[in-house]
Amino acid sequence: MRGPGPTPRPSRVRARGATIAAFVALAPLLPAAAVAVGTLKVDTALPYVCTLPSGQQPATVRITAAFPDRAAPGEEIRPTDVTTTVELPASAGLTASLGPTVRAETRLTVDVAQNEQRARATWSGTAQPLDVPAEGALVVTTTGDVPTLTTGTAGDLTLTAADLALDLAPGAADGSSTTPAPLSVGCVPGQDAEGRTPLATVPVGAGPGTGEPSAPPASPSAPSAPPSSPSSGPSSPSGRTVPARPGTAEGTGRAPEVPRAGQRAGGGGGLTVTEGDAPGTPEGRPAAPPCVTENPTPTSLSAYITGYSNVRKLNGATVIPVSCVLIEQGQPEFVIQPDGSMHLLTPSVGNLSYQGRKQTPPFRATFLTFGFAPTTATMVLEQTGPLTVDSDVLLVFPDNLSETYIRARFVLRVLDVRVNGTRLDVGPDCRTEKPLTSPEPDPVKHPGDHLVLLGKGQLINGTDATGYLLTGGGPLTGEVSIPAFKGCGAGGENLDRLLTASISGPGNHIRQIQGQTCAVGVDVPTEGQCTGDRQPYVVPKPER
Amino acid sequence: MKKPIRNLAVVAGTASAAFALAVSPASAVASTVWTVSPSPASITAVNSGNIVLSVNGIAMTCTKSNGSGSGQSTTGNPATVGTINSIAFGASGTPCTSVLGPVTAVPTTPWTIVAQDYTASTGVTKGYVGNVDATVTVGACVFRVTGKASSTYTNSTGALAVNSVAGELTVVSSSGCGSAVPVGAKPTFKGTYLFKVAGTTTIPTIVGSNP
Repeated sequence: MRGPGPTPRPSRVRARGATIAAFVALAPLLPAAAVAVGTLKVDTALPYVCTLPSGQQPATVRITAAFPDRAAPGEEIRPTDVTTTVELPASAGLTASLGPTVRAETRLTVDVAQNEQRARATWSGTAQPLDVPAEGALVVTTTGDVPTLTTGTAGDLTLTAADLALDLAPGAADGSSTTPAPLSVGCVPGQDAEGRTPLATVPVGAGPGTGEPSAPPASPSAPSAPPSSPSSGPSSPSGRTVPARPGTAEGTGRAPEVPRAGQRAGGGGGLTVTEGDAPGTPEGRPAAPPCVTENPTPTSLSAYITGYSNVRKLNGATVIPVSCVLIEQGQPEFVIQPDGSMHLLTPSVGNLSYQGRKQTPPFRATFLTFGFAPTTATMVLEQTGPLTVDSDVLLVFPDNLSETYIRARFVLRVLDVRVNGTRLDVGPDCRTEKPLTSPEPDPVKHPGDHLVLLGKGQLINGTDATGYLLTGGGPLTGEVSIPAFKGCGAGGENLDRLLTASISGPGNHIRQIQGQTCAVGVDVPTEGQCTGDRQPYVVPKPER
Repeated sequence: MKKPIRNLAVVAGTASAAFALAVSPASAVASTVWTVSPSPASITAVNSGNIVLSVNGIAMTCTKSNGSGSGQSTTGNPATVGTINSIAFGASGTPCTSVLGPVTAVPTTPWTIVAQDYTASTGVTKGYVGNVDATVTVGACVFRVTGKASSTYTNSTGALAVNSVAGELTVVSSSGCGSAVPVGAKPTFKGTYLFKVAGTTTIPTIVGSNP
């Protein structure tokens, strides 16, 4: 009945020819909660020249990132903690051309070199809407999508910063557009940057000790990778005309722009760069973030979930946006409980997935803080521990009664706060000090701080099943306490107590709606449950 | 074997209980000539009430199911008096369901309608649906069930009441189902379909005799 394994998704690999293989997938850019042991951190400021309406202007581009300090052939190299900051001089005259507020996107070309081979990737990033200063420099900091690299052969892998495209779109913070047209700014490394654009060198070898990692400019051994290759050519600033997309609050999986081709020849094939998975919105399906299961197993499921969460202290509710959950369905097992009742238990595990990270997409909520101050916060739920899905079906012939508990460790991270329209700098590490906590019905078996959601379903005497169904989805409810915040503030100002006083507290009701799962790994997914590339087809809507 | 079959006939019959009790358990002589009217007949079938597949106490309910096939007079015992060429479980927007989620059942046809015993006084033919073969998917759980399912056909109503006995159907392969649906499990299949001659309101009939 089944084939030897899950049906692989169609390969997007295209040939470019040569001897190493580099595979690029999407990785998130929001700073990671944890960085692998043996991390190479990069923080470099490079001189660039940007072509602005007023002419060419010097600019400073600061790039931060973290890489594994070494990798084995075939091992994923995932840049984390990546930010791109562009500082444009006051003389750029952007206030007049863009208005008081802008939205910004960056696309940094990163040349990847190993031995004699070259590849190219694009690090895309978006910024929260920011005010254009009437005086002084405009500083834009973006986060977004970053390709993950995998190379099939040994040798130092060097990443070098090349051209940068900066898209500026006028727009108020509420998303409304204003009259001025978007502005695309092309930037190239300045002459002063010569020899300083290599970002990192990651030794790739058969094992540890193959080489020492280095972060330029302290890497004399780093091979000098030219910012462009004959096949790609230097980018023209005027050619970077992709307009900013007002209203876009999250990064996108924009594909790298250079030839990315090649055969994945095991161990010795050509230089290849595989597009990241950002398939967009499949035909006929409402918009939703990509939800791709890499390396699916026969029991892989994926689903979207969205819904409301009250913030009791603010007397309001916020929508947790459509989020992707990747699940490995456990093996259902019969268990006879001590009271003689017959149960079918299905323990599954899962993870949130957003641009390769275990988190929701960023979401924005507006409240009246302390009852009078209109406050808009951009937040994200970060998964910091296991996410389990425990389904318990009580079999009482002819009825089936199910209870499904979802337990997860999420911290609430605050990315941006605006009070009365004025930005309150909460810094890069503003989170709840511990995971959100719910009353736990079985604390002995499930200790620690975690969120608990419960879904109930039933099938009575041969009628249709109703309520929450493990693979069919439905409503999940719970109550959560939001812990105190820590790490909030910048420039010496500690905002922990302010945020804690504003948001933290118990008794916040949550009602999430899980959509129909896509059985990713089965030979023939059920019609209407999966997209063509096996993402969930059903996108739920939040319900009160 | 006789007792459960007799019980099934009582459950599935559309006549009153008193009437059913008056029916003799079985014909004294087995029918060997089976007359289907019309013959050959192109037949459609639509469920009446829910169709329920159960395995190890887990129920899977289909509120919609329909099929098509043919019927023809024949001889012998048991005798194949009809063929189900297509059958659908669930419909677009109305899938079969279970507490584990929507259920997809993809049958491999043809299935057969086999007659074994006819009671002239009631117009009820006992037999089974044979060659049952379907692949069932619930989330990541996929299993294949094959075998047969006991049934009765009532001429007065055109109702094929399927009420399989444990052991008639068997799970022959299973993946991702754990001990819920292991290979060797014995599902049951229950439900009623109303037969019509295709494109008409005519109810096809089956009459058994032993000349």
